[in-house]
Amino acid sequence: MDSTFVHSSTCTVYLVLFGSTQADENSCGLSMTWLETVSVTMDVSKNGFHRDLVTTVDFGPGFPDGLETLLVHRLPSGIYIDQYQLASLKEDTGLQVLLGSAVDLEAPAHTSEEFLVLVYPALDQGILKATLPIHGRYHKPSLAGKRFELVEIKLPKLILRTDTCTQLISFPPYKIVDAPCTVHNLSICQWLEIQHLQEQDPVSLEIPLGDGSLVEPVCAGTLLVTLLCCVILSRSIWMHGVFLDNAILI
Amino acid sequence: MASIMERVLSKLMNKNVLFTVSFLVRLVMVSFGVYQDRTMVVKYTDVDYHVFTDASKFITQGQSPYHRSTYRYTPLLAWILTPNIYLSHVFGKLLFITCDVLSGHLIYLILRQRGLSCEAACRVCSLWLLNPLPAGVSSRGNAESVLTALVLATLLCLELRQLPMAAILYGLAVHMKIYPVTYALPIALSLQRKENVEERGVGWWRRALGFPLRLLNKELFLFAGVAGVVFCGLTVLFYNMYGWDFLQETYLYHLTRRDIRHNFSPYFYMLYLTADSPWSLALGLAAFLPQALLLFLVSLAFHTDLALCCFLHTAIFVSFNKVCTSQYFLWYLCLFPLVLPRLTLSPKQGVELLALWFAGQGIWLAPAYYLEFEGYNTFLLIWLAGLMFLIINSFIMVQIITHYNPSDTTQRLKAE
Repeated sequence: MDSTFVHSSTCTVYLVLFGSTQADENSCGLSMTWLETVSVTMDVSKNGFHRDLVTTVDFGPGFPDGLETLLVHRLPSGIYIDQYQLASLKEDTGLQVLLGSAVDLEAPAHTSEEFLVLVYPALDQGILKATLPIHGRYHKPSLAGKRFELVEIKLPKLILRTDTCTQLISFPPYKIVDAPCTVHNLSICQWLEIQHLQEQDPVSLEIPLGDGSLVEPVCAGTLLVTLLCCVILSRSIWMHGVFLDNAILI
Repeated sequence: MASIMERVLSKLMNKNVLFTVSFLVRLVMVSFGVYQDRTMVVKYTDVDYHVFTDASKFITQGQSPYHRSTYRYTPLLAWILTPNIYLSHVFGKLLFITCDVLSGHLIYLILRQRGLSCEAACRVCSLWLLNPLPAGVSSRGNAESVLTALVLATLLCLELRQLPMAAILYGLAVHMKIYPVTYALPIALSLQRKENVEERGVGWWRRALGFPLRLLNKELFLFAGVAGVVFCGLTVLFYNMYGWDFLQETYLYHLTRRDIRHNFSPYFYMLYLTADSPWSLALGLAAFLPQALLLFLVSLAFHTDLALCCFLHTAIFVSFNKVCTSQYFLWYLCLFPLVLPRLTLSPKQGVELLALWFAGQGIWLAPAYYLEFEGYNTFLLIWLAGLMFLIINSFIMVQIITHYNPSDTTQRLKAE
């Protein structure tokens, strides 16, 4: 009788413990309550064609050990990233970025596509932050007198995992996705995608546009001035040129 | 104080001192560049230098240098810079500053050949050797000095009538960058056989008929043959090694380049607005015609003085080109010291023209800065500034042509 009681109470304890673990925390040390405190904010700094995209990940206390974060940016065709600049920044500031595909540095916006960028933010004085240098592409000239093109950048997706994790168990409502474990892109790991993120409007930047309605005066003006300079130079060359060599061969 | 300055200047105008000081100044700039790259966010080294070095790294791994995107040069350059990977990252910069000082030395030799005294030649070539622009460009890692050295060496060999050597250097220069191909016509015209006394006595139409016969002479065939062999040989060699990529990136890209991003060219805005229109081909041709006409006229008019001819050629080519960046200015600046001794402009007029040239660049750079780094829509201002810069360049060239005093060629030939 006593042994049965001990046995059943031990089973009950196990059940209670196991049940509570399943309700609040999965085996990776990521608790539901902590995940709800995570938020992402994004901002664009600087002006002109060369900007910085600053993404900050905020979270409440209880930072799990060995946490790895990854920001998945889907950047529009109106901007591009210079992979060679990233390589030199990696050495200088430790910025860790993986590009989803090769980016043409010189193509205009209407012949380019959106592309994927994976950013591994670094811990900077207790906050996770990443500064990504982005550049505006040249856009097609506007026909309607529009002077600027608005390029919208959507908020990135945030995915998390912990180093101690070997197997992520399904943890609704969070999805499990596959992504490179580190910036070295040697292996694929399972990550947890956070979807409840604070609803923020996409950030936008303005890129100046050429004025297509001026195409006729610009062409006429350019050709007129170049023709004028050509005529003036030709006249000067004609007047001062030595067309026939007047040296006498002795 | 003034006498101390005079003494320092006269000591500096000693040939050995001048060249040593120029090299040391450039060495200091390279060292400072290395320090700045390591410690500051804004880098001293130009992006192009990293492009060359990355391409060299691909070569050391047995691959094509064209795997490095935006590498649009001959593979020869990446091959020459492989010590960047094996020895030290600064090897390329040391090579470029050496070519820069060598260009200065070639300017000195050409000036002496054209009759200047040692001291006068030193004074003139100090305009290149102590000039911060070429020194800065080479120490930042741009390869322009290699080409200026090749072009100046070609001109020197032509002055000395060393035709095979001139042809080899010319073939190499054209292989590295296409623009020296425009010198072909002036060089051909300068190699023509001179008219002898009987030929001068006949009517003008018979002289005109005799012209092609005088043009197509043994020396021209020798020059064209050797230069052609060098150029074609290098082309075939690199085509076999790297295939279509080599032809596309080294030559075709530059010939068909339609960069719609802002640059000094007067055609920039017109080409940006018409980039996708059916008129773009016709407009491209309309932009090419003034350039071609002027180059043809200059070749006919000044081929007797190759230095002036090549200077005007390149200045016109750059000013009327569809794309123009500040690197292109070095292509004709290296030839300007050769033209300078025969200009009859007063120093005051010279300084005024120089200030005008810099003002023209400043007028363009201001709205360009506001467009690129502040995001204002200054396209119209940039277009107008580009046209203004063309007008200023044309004015300066007219002043140079009008105030040029060609040397007394009859006296020189008699002395020979």
